Amino acid sequence: MPVALPEDPEDLSPGTAAERTRLAWERTAIAFGAVGLAMLRGEPVAGLLVLAVTPLIWALGRYVSSSAPPQKRSRRLLLVTVAITGVVALAVVAAFIGHGLARFP
Amino acid sequence: MREDIRRPGGGATSSQHGHPDGEPGAPGPPAEPGPEEEPDVRFTLANERTFLAWNRTALALVVAGLGIVQLLPPFPGVPWGRHVLGVPLIVLGAVVSVTAYREWRRNQTALRRSEPIPQSLLPRILVFTITGVTALSAVVLLVSAVR
Repeated sequence: MPVALPEDPEDLSPGTAAERTRLAWERTAIAFGAVGLAMLRGEPVAGLLVLAVTPLIWALGRYVSSSAPPQKRSRRLLLVTVAITGVVALAVVAAFIGHGLARFP
Repeated sequence: MREDIRRPGGGATSSQHGHPDGEPGAPGPPAEPGPEEEPDVRFTLANERTFLAWNRTALALVVAGLGIVQLLPPFPGVPWGRHVLGVPLIVLGAVVSVTAYREWRRNQTALRRSEPIPQSLLPRILVFTITGVTALSAVVLLVSAVR
């Protein structure tokens, strides 16, 4: 007779939600690194700055804890948004005064 | 290390996202916010993953914008063409990231109050901007071909 599965597959192994979240943080950190590498070509200083932030994002993900207080979670996510806004500011500057301008007739 | 996940309790459940059959369309007076309590941690983590996924989308938009500005050869006769197409995509990255944070907070509040999750604005923002940039690309290419 087949074993009845729980309604939510996660009930079999509830830890997978935390693991998926950790992996999502790691993918986000890798995406940061990719942006840094892409910027290195046109604007090396901006690229290095973004690459320097990458380990920080990685570290934020490493310390994901489901028991973290809501205030702490909120601050951590705000940090990601602030970092991306900074990357956008650097990218706009790089677009206008970096490699792009050199080819701007 | 395996985290200790609480079982779903009296907090938000998927069955609360939406109106049950037979519920009148027009709401009555605004309901008072329910008592706040920390939702099942699985909902909190899912909300966080959604936030992170939108932020990766934001980073992809930044890379796409930078690629257009720095890697594409200039459009003949349209020296500003690459900037007109690339810079809006880069700026959209910041808009998506900030909106994702606001929506994460809003969703977390809704989960705490066991209310339905509000509809996200982000897909609409993304669709309008990408459609706009696509139309602009067509304009830049046409202008470039005419000149």
